[in-house]
Amino acid sequence: MSQRKSYAVGTGLFIVLGFAALAYLATQTSSVANRHQGASYTVDAQFENIGQLKERAPVKIAGVRVGQVESIALEPGKSVADVKLAIDKQYATIPADSVATIFTSGLLGDQYVGIEYGHAKQYVAAGGKLGLTRSSQPLEEMLGKFFGAGGSADAIGGSYEVTAHFSNVGSLSAGSPVKMAGVAIGRVLSVQAEPTKLDAVVTLAIDNRYNQIPDDSAAAVFTSGLIGSQYVAIQPGGSPDMLKNGDEMILTQSAMQLEDLIGKFLVNGSGDGAKKDAGSSTTPAGKH
Amino acid sequence: MNARIGRDNIVTQSLGQIGNCGLFLLQILATIPRSLRHARETVRQLWFVGAMSLTIIMVCGLFVGMVLSLQLYHVLSIFGGTAATGTVVAISIYRELGPVVTALLFAGRAGTAITAEIGLMRATDQIAAMELMAVDPLAYVVAPRFLAGLIAMPLLCCVFCALGIFGGHLVGVSWLGIDNGTFWSNMTATVDVWQDIINGVIWKSLAFGAVVALIAVYQGYTAPPTSEGVAYATTRTVVASSIAILALDFVLTAFLM
Repeated sequence: MSQRKSYAVGTGLFIVLGFAALAYLATQTSSVANRHQGASYTVDAQFENIGQLKERAPVKIAGVRVGQVESIALEPGKSVADVKLAIDKQYATIPADSVATIFTSGLLGDQYVGIEYGHAKQYVAAGGKLGLTRSSQPLEEMLGKFFGAGGSADAIGGSYEVTAHFSNVGSLSAGSPVKMAGVAIGRVLSVQAEPTKLDAVVTLAIDNRYNQIPDDSAAAVFTSGLIGSQYVAIQPGGSPDMLKNGDEMILTQSAMQLEDLIGKFLVNGSGDGAKKDAGSSTTPAGKH
Repeated sequence: MNARIGRDNIVTQSLGQIGNCGLFLLQILATIPRSLRHARETVRQLWFVGAMSLTIIMVCGLFVGMVLSLQLYHVLSIFGGTAATGTVVAISIYRELGPVVTALLFAGRAGTAITAEIGLMRATDQIAAMELMAVDPLAYVVAPRFLAGLIAMPLLCCVFCALGIFGGHLVGVSWLGIDNGTFWSNMTATVDVWQDIINGVIWKSLAFGAVVALIAVYQGYTAPPTSEGVAYATTRTVVASSIAILALDFVLTAFLM
């Protein structure tokens, strides 16, 4: 009997331990630990671009979590994102003219909504709206102004080939996208060293749908994002003649290394660096 | 021609095994209500396959968490992302390593013991004796072991995961110096109860528990009543369980994630 009792107790202990471990996993290591307990009220905010913001992302005031993103939807008929914020009842004194901004935590971190207090005497009510918003300004976008915008690849039908010479292609490789205005319009067919000119010759296959590219357009090697892969960006020129199969693009800009760019700012000060960039006709910095 | 027949035989043989195994599962399920009258036997088996496996599960969980943390720290430090160590340790343990490694250990620790025990019961005519006494061996011997495996696996897996997180914390925070708050907050920000813990830990380990326990009792019950037969059956339990666990893991991941 005592033998029997000992294993019954041991089995009971085992089951209790198992469930205790489950409870620990579920409540301490998961998002339940972050879920606010108290009642909340909902406030609307509209953003032009929410970037990578996700539902249940935190809402913070002065860095302190006060609620979470309840839902994200596209405002019907407009290209505006309608974000509903569930804010804890205990933080019911947010001035109506506060500014909602989408921030990124750290360099590669998740995005969250930060609320900066305004000065209005009225507080925003449940179901109310934060009229002043600032959209996501991801680091990628800011750097993208130097490096060119991102975009996704497109299905390719028939294509025509053009070549371009670069003094440095960085880590560009065959298969990398060719983009115009951030939209993929083709692929890099091959990257080869030119034996006589001692530079790199890149063959681009551009989709036949995009046959209206002026023949004085410039080709540049850009990086998507901070640690993204490299691609060829085409900046349209103004010539009346269009690029044809077998043409060569004369105006090119080689890959710019992030290290070089940061180095320029660090060594010369940001003013000089920007001026230098703006001076070169083919950099996108000149566009903005 | 002969080779073709041989291949066909292997195919039909393994199909037959799977079919028999499925029928056996139905038989076990049918006897479960009756076997609940022998609840004490189920508790004893739970003690044997569950509680007695705790040591190996806890030690292995601890070391898996520790080595994962160590590896990830060094890889993530290349990208300056060591703060994500806790997140990746937790996600990889919950979704894959926890259920799979627990099930493999469980097959080795408990599955083989079940097969050998039932196989020897048959070899020493204990099962025949039970049938003579009008005691259904399925209800008294097989079903309690199957149930015990089904119940023990999720519990063992939870313990494994908890110890894995603890091991990861031990190496990451105490040894390599990741900030304690960062470790936990990044983890809690990413791990989702439904997606990672219910779907990852619970459903997967339940499925693995059912598969391992079924294979173990089936191999034991159908083992030839010789010492060689029992030895082969025990080996087959480990081989078949391991393959079934890893194959099922892929299918479950595809469906659950």
